[in-house]
Amino acid sequence: MDVSYQEKSILGSLLAVAAVYGYYFVSVLRDLGRYEFVGGVVGRLVVAVIAIVVIEIVYHIVLALESKPEPKDERDILIECKAYRNAYFLLASGAFLVIAWVIMRDAAPARIAVTNFITVNLVLFFMVVADVMKFLTQLFYYRRGLR
Amino acid sequence: MTKGRIRNNVRKLRFLGSEMTQQELAEKIGVTRQTVIAIEQDKYSPSLEVAFRIARVFGVPLEEAFQYEAADAESGQVA
Repeated sequence: MDVSYQEKSILGSLLAVAAVYGYYFVSVLRDLGRYEFVGGVVGRLVVAVIAIVVIEIVYHIVLALESKPEPKDERDILIECKAYRNAYFLLASGAFLVIAWVIMRDAAPARIAVTNFITVNLVLFFMVVADVMKFLTQLFYYRRGLR
Repeated sequence: MTKGRIRNNVRKLRFLGSEMTQQELAEKIGVTRQTVIAIEQDKYSPSLEVAFRIARVFGVPLEEAFQYEAADAESGQVA
């Protein structure tokens, strides 16, 4: 299978995001009873962001040494536009969901237990899912083509 | 409106044009080799500018490099 430089780059980013944030959100599930988004949780998030940056830099250095980097052309940009459209749709849907959640919490605080910890992580979750959607859309169009 | 289809003779023109490689063509028209592959496999219709550049590289009119096959509005069949 002929895999382009762009596809390898996207695949690496996808795996890095899935692995690091997968680990982060599993740890969040364990701490679901927390109320505020402070202390060790912030530290964990900072570590996750730094880990992503380091993994991406190392991976792209290795990739650049292994295969010749190609500048983006019109097809890459078009695919990226479609990917951002899908990611935006998902992110906007997530934002509406979180807003609805917060409004419901304020309307019925006794019934809906939504802590700051859950709200912040929910926003983060939709940001990550939107990113994953962007990568998956790109990989889909690179394989299927734009007709 | 039913969508038509854009076909091309890029692969044929490449072989007729002193067996130019996909990489050579890609460099001449300013895209990646992957994009040339996608164009040849009808998986991507290039922009008008790239289409003109391809025709110019091979020294042929645009219609010889690319053909638009309009779909039949009734049946959706490509004519």
